[in-house]
Amino acid sequence: MSRAPLPGLSRRKFLSAAPLTAAGGMAAAVPSRKRPRIAAVVSEYRRYSHAQHIVDRFLWGYGWGNRHHRPPMDVVSVYVDQTPENTLIHDRMRRFPKMKKYPTIAEALTQGGSRLAVDGVLLIGEHGKYPKNEKGQTLYPRYEWFKEITRVFRDSGRSVPVFNDKHLSWKWEWAKEMVDISRELDFAFLAGSSVPVTPRLPSIDMPLGVEIEEALCLAVGGMDGYDIHALEGLQCMVERRRGGETGAASIHGLKGDPVFQAMNAGSWEAGGWDPELFQACLCRSHSLTPSREGFNHVLPSLEEVPKLIPERTPVAYRFEYLDGLKGTILLMEGLVMDFTFAARLKGGEVISTQMFLPPREVCNFFNPQCHHVEQMFLTGKAGYPVERTLLTTGLTAAGVESVWQGQKRLDTPHLDIRYQPTQESTFWRS
Amino acid sequence: MLSRRTFLEIAAASGLAAHLGCSVGPPAKKRKKLAIIASIWKYLSHAQHFGDRFLVGYPRKGRWHHPEMDVVSLYVHQKPEGDQSQARADEFGFQVYPTIREALRCGGDKLAVDAVLLIIEHGDYPRNAKGQVLYPRYEFFRQVVEVFEQDGRAVPVFNDKHLSYDTAKAKKMVADSKRLGFPLLAGSSLPVTWRIPAIEFPLDCVIEEALMVGVGSSDASDYHALEAMQCMVERRRGGESGVKSVQLIQGDAVWKAGEEGRWSKRLLEAALSRSNKLLGDTLIDARPQDLANNGQLPKIVKEPAAYFIEHADGLQSTLLMLNGGVQDRTFAAKLQGEPEPQSLLFQLPPIPNVTYSACLAEKIEEMIETGEAPFPAERTLIVSGILDHCLESKVQGNRKLETPELQISYRPPEGSHFCRA
Repeated sequence: MSRAPLPGLSRRKFLSAAPLTAAGGMAAAVPSRKRPRIAAVVSEYRRYSHAQHIVDRFLWGYGWGNRHHRPPMDVVSVYVDQTPENTLIHDRMRRFPKMKKYPTIAEALTQGGSRLAVDGVLLIGEHGKYPKNEKGQTLYPRYEWFKEITRVFRDSGRSVPVFNDKHLSWKWEWAKEMVDISRELDFAFLAGSSVPVTPRLPSIDMPLGVEIEEALCLAVGGMDGYDIHALEGLQCMVERRRGGETGAASIHGLKGDPVFQAMNAGSWEAGGWDPELFQACLCRSHSLTPSREGFNHVLPSLEEVPKLIPERTPVAYRFEYLDGLKGTILLMEGLVMDFTFAARLKGGEVISTQMFLPPREVCNFFNPQCHHVEQMFLTGKAGYPVERTLLTTGLTAAGVESVWQGQKRLDTPHLDIRYQPTQESTFWRS
Repeated sequence: MLSRRTFLEIAAASGLAAHLGCSVGPPAKKRKKLAIIASIWKYLSHAQHFGDRFLVGYPRKGRWHHPEMDVVSLYVHQKPEGDQSQARADEFGFQVYPTIREALRCGGDKLAVDAVLLIIEHGDYPRNAKGQVLYPRYEFFRQVVEVFEQDGRAVPVFNDKHLSYDTAKAKKMVADSKRLGFPLLAGSSLPVTWRIPAIEFPLDCVIEEALMVGVGSSDASDYHALEAMQCMVERRRGGESGVKSVQLIQGDAVWKAGEEGRWSKRLLEAALSRSNKLLGDTLIDARPQDLANNGQLPKIVKEPAAYFIEHADGLQSTLLMLNGGVQDRTFAAKLQGEPEPQSLLFQLPPIPNVTYSACLAEKIEEMIETGEAPFPAERTLIVSGILDHCLESKVQGNRKLETPELQISYRPPEGSHFCRA
């Protein structure tokens, strides 16, 4: 199967030229192959980096299904972009000799040969030293690496499932192109945050097909890092509303004191958000900073909230969907240290939950995410739509842009992304 | 001694007592009045974080809930540095009384409250040779019961944590509640806290074997772990049948017992698969570990202990205290007919919020509102007794002890009571 690069290949031609992908993945197409071979393309592999958390789970195994589960597949190659002093890559290669390090992405995917020689790709471009642009976005080279990965796919006339950690790219046009390429080359593409799949307290999902009026996610952290997690937490819930996802119409990014002004506005219509949803989130938090000394758990008044956010750099993205749904994410570092969600359904009912992120020592919120990635590698199908992450990537970029442009409301005609949610819940509940 | 029937008749005849209170409440809806009997009240003591739930409210089903009841009196046994009792009383308009009797009567001559919260945890108390902190729960409870008897009326009582360090005293506490006919709710927050995953065993399932992993000190944290296990296994067919024998072993004998199959390594793997706080090599570089099977546990758990409990119906349940191995509390059991064990984490949300105490506050309120304890005090009684006898086994050279005193059988509640809404 030696074939020259076919840059202009149409999807139909690509498929016909690549019979191995007919079932959407190697496992299904080649039942005789014993264990799928996985390539990891990562920014840096050190303690607490996303690469460590995710690739480690494929190497060491992880808690799943009432046992220590070992994925039935092998990480055979790795490309590591940066190797700081505390890198763990050499330690892991010594312990797991099947995993070989290659100097380029193409070589990792071909295992040093000339053709694609793996059955799945982990793309983990999070953490590491990368420049920031004037808007504060870290320029992680996810798109660039994705292009290199898919160049190997094209050159080999074969594609395999890809997992992209967190948002697709800091740049909307590139994110869009990534999803377009995955469609063109017809490979399963899973992306996003672990927040949508982590356990929930309580263990509830948005009922499929309900009408939602407004939704809010309250989270910890800052822009271009945690906004995407909060957006994904909100999006995985609201996409289940009647009609499915319709896309976003506009966004308004706020930072600093204007967030507190919006908080006091009293409603979405007045420029803020539903205070009852905010309170529901506070009530779902397990890490609410006490507003009174000597008390371990009190509900702060709206006047007290700003005092609990000493840096005074809260962030809010208020966005409207094409079907009229209103959404807000709030990053309020200092007030809470967890992720909570609340929504008002048509008729007035409020539902709320916490998307539980276990402590950092083991970061077991990566378990359900790795489970879904593993399933994709085995079945050739993504467990939830990449369009979710395309939309949240777009909202993240638009939110940053809105703040950058002086906290100006922006229309988002490019975010008319329609998709349907999964019927089944995909968060960790077993 | 008053029979229960006579007591109830007297209580009915002296109905006026129910209307005596420390302050004049709104006439429309009568708010219940609570007395808190505490060992100490300082920041993050049990009395503070349970008591405050009734003063400033707490989160419940996604809303901030204010109990429709008032703390009207408080007795604190000790006032260490950082004592908050008087400050709370001043702010929330209740009295601190010098005796339990006066607190219950609000300084008058008749029982003047609708419920009593007995929160005797933390404070400076001696330990006995078995390592039990001699908290005066029984002694304080007796003083409460004496007021009930003298005043011809009894009201619901909540007892935080185990009943008494002494099985005989613990039994008397439950017997008093039955004799005088007042609801008694007791125990740990673990049975009612969040579970991951949010599972409950079906009533009357057949449990083949159960194992709990606990951490922390004795006799505080082993108690919590035992009660967490008990709330799961009591749901088996026939309910709790009582305990025939217990044994506490320590050190290398614990690992040896695992090799010999006295406790199940498969259940340990299932339990630890739920842990979010693995120690050992995970602390070096955050790696996930198969801690049940990778040989690390004997190296990192310096002082392991196994608490073996043989139930009257034949069930074997085991608590492994694995300090140094993990930092959270997990459980696994094999149910008949299921191919694999089931397991869960008892999630204890961190300080300062410790929202598990909100889960228990909800149950206390439920008892006060309905006049019925949502789950039986026999659970806490048998756990108090198991712990007492396990610690006896420990000081008797880790000998197996027959436990005729623990022939305590009871039925579990029909419904689930852990936090999941």
